[in-house]
Amino acid sequence: MAAGANASLVKDGIQTLWVPREEVHEKLRGLKSEYRMLYDLTAIDERDRVHREGEPESDFTAVYHLYSFDRNEYIRIKTPLAESALSLDSITDIWPAADWYEREVWDMFGIQFSGHPHLQRILMPRTWVGHPLRKDHPARATEMGPFQLSEEKEEREQEALRFRPEEWGFERSHDDSDFIFLNLGPQHPGTHGVLRIVLQLDGEAIVHAVPEIGFHHRGAEKMGERQSWHTYIPYTDRVDYLGGVMNNLAYLTALEKLAGVPIPPRAQTIRVMLAELFRIISHLVWYGTFAQDLGQMSPVFYTFNDRERAFGIIEAVCGARMHPNWFRLGGVAQDLPRGWDKLFLDFIDYFPPKLAEYDREVLRNKIFQKRTKGVGVLTTEQAIEWGLTGPNLRACGLEWDFRKKQPYSGYENFEFDIPTGTHGDCYDRAVVRVEEMRQSLRIIEQCVRNMPEGPYKSLHPLATPPLKEHTMEDIETLITHFLGVSWGPVIPPGEALGAIEATKGNNGYYLVSDGSTVSYRTRIRTPSFAHMQALPLQVRGRMIPDLLAVLGAMDFVLADIDR
Amino acid sequence: MASFIQNQFERNVVTTSVDYVFNWARKSALWPLTFGLACCAIEMIASSTSRFDIARFGAEVFRPSPRQSDLMIVAGTVTLKMGPVLKRIWDQMPDPKWCISMGACSSVGGPFNTYGVLQGVDKIVPVDVYVTGCPPRPENLFYALLKLQDKIDQMTTLVKRPTEVRLDESMLENFKQQVRIAQINNPA
Repeated sequence: MAAGANASLVKDGIQTLWVPREEVHEKLRGLKSEYRMLYDLTAIDERDRVHREGEPESDFTAVYHLYSFDRNEYIRIKTPLAESALSLDSITDIWPAADWYEREVWDMFGIQFSGHPHLQRILMPRTWVGHPLRKDHPARATEMGPFQLSEEKEEREQEALRFRPEEWGFERSHDDSDFIFLNLGPQHPGTHGVLRIVLQLDGEAIVHAVPEIGFHHRGAEKMGERQSWHTYIPYTDRVDYLGGVMNNLAYLTALEKLAGVPIPPRAQTIRVMLAELFRIISHLVWYGTFAQDLGQMSPVFYTFNDRERAFGIIEAVCGARMHPNWFRLGGVAQDLPRGWDKLFLDFIDYFPPKLAEYDREVLRNKIFQKRTKGVGVLTTEQAIEWGLTGPNLRACGLEWDFRKKQPYSGYENFEFDIPTGTHGDCYDRAVVRVEEMRQSLRIIEQCVRNMPEGPYKSLHPLATPPLKEHTMEDIETLITHFLGVSWGPVIPPGEALGAIEATKGNNGYYLVSDGSTVSYRTRIRTPSFAHMQALPLQVRGRMIPDLLAVLGAMDFVLADIDR
Repeated sequence: MASFIQNQFERNVVTTSVDYVFNWARKSALWPLTFGLACCAIEMIASSTSRFDIARFGAEVFRPSPRQSDLMIVAGTVTLKMGPVLKRIWDQMPDPKWCISMGACSSVGGPFNTYGVLQGVDKIVPVDVYVTGCPPRPENLFYALLKLQDKIDQMTTLVKRPTEVRLDESMLENFKQQVRIAQINNPA
């Protein structure tokens, strides 16, 4: 009894179906032949929502996003849930990748999934009481009383972190020998941040790996319900903290669909240019640290040096280094400074010879090749099944780039190639990323050569803050400016998904507006979350050094996993 | 007897010279713990690479093990899930040890005043120097490092710190006397 949703609330043109909870499992099973990737699974606490015209009654709504590669489109399935019966059938039997998503929904909303193999908290500590993304859970730390860490509490928290193999259905021994359970992280230089992986080892071979995440959960989604639409932009910078303005772009792509703000061509081109520069910056960090993970000490010093050169441009344009917070609803914060083109052109001249040098240093290095070729292999089917996107998907051989397939921000106007791999191993992932830097450079050069004239911000009344010179001319804009800065813009009710090809894969923001100055629900779908979930698949039967190669090649950021 | 020894190590040529050597050795070769938590960690790595080069300050030997390091740079957001782990790592570091809280998040929670984030790492471990910024530039970290070196310079190993009150027996008796008087409702 799938009912079509009220079209007025869906602002992104994605087909949206409401399916009752008894039928959703079957419905999703039927859809899988067409929509092969489980893109996202989340929920909304609807209890405080006002504008729900035409939607079925519900206290909570589970939201499934699926993606079809054949049709190149998303589909959204929504299931209404009453507070008295907060449970759903688990879809882990259809998509194994639903495992972590369902755990997250349980952790954040307290929705049960019957048939889930291991429904435990995933982001919050196990000792946590309550479900943070419910509307009645406190948002701020300052609402929760002063923090104290007594010795008993420390012991209790440490005990909660203890790994019990039986809980996961692992044997402690087989035949005559015992398995070793090795704890890697959360403080370990190879995990690139606060990630914990528990390894079940048979000698030195990995039998199973269990990643534990949540040590970096900063509550970025809850923050969206508190900050105004405008003042949430700095928080997006810190989600994939190597991606800088790339995150602004993902958020604003969704927000501008909700607000219906058109973006002037100059602003679009500035956005593309800076986002591609940040793609290079992010890949440079990955390049150096990946080589270091595999035992090469020097490359990180070279790549970080180039990163500093790129940061020189970012600083000249935006004034900040890692978190420029530069894009605004309706455009960018300021126009480009005088002499900007020379900075970019210098970098375009400087960088390709350095890339060639790194090819000699890293990619053609025999030890590097031995450590990465044939390690962490995934097939295209597995990659789609587990929701992999970005370079990790392209390394499997599928030529799929959302900049080309679903162009946003004017990407259809640029010429660039999509590099792909063939084997889906760590080496191919490296090759794809290195080639992507060259393509990004091509895009930047086209931006510099063809930068359109015109305003850097839209004249739409919702553009925040409005162009300053106009506020000096008419009282209407002055009032809008004042309201936009003091309260924030009021976005019409509705929901929209904005997804972009970020540095690490498909980064999507699913925003629900209730017609106020703050978001009702901000869902951040990050690529690293899906990639990390596919880790055990890649390392089973291999050695621990291979695990570090796989982690390095995956190119994840902890804030991108835990948000 | 105890009070007799206590007053014998006042500042003199020998003790200050020993302190000087100890402090010089300690401040010139700080071994930071590789403890990246968030965005700040990337700037911490950047400060050790060639453009900024933390080796100029003698603190380039990043150690992955707390047992081998004497400086914890808390670089990033400390969540409530990470807090107890961080405390355990701090306890594992041998004395003397110092702590730099790098960035807004670890100093006061930064922009993340949310349910899952610890509002300042000083609620768990003692902090010597706080660094502002989100994330701080590498130069900012170096300034903190220099401040920490100044602080280490003031340390005393043999001579007791001038701020510590030394009690001898007559003072103690005097204090007890005062307490007794205070407890009597109507002192004669």
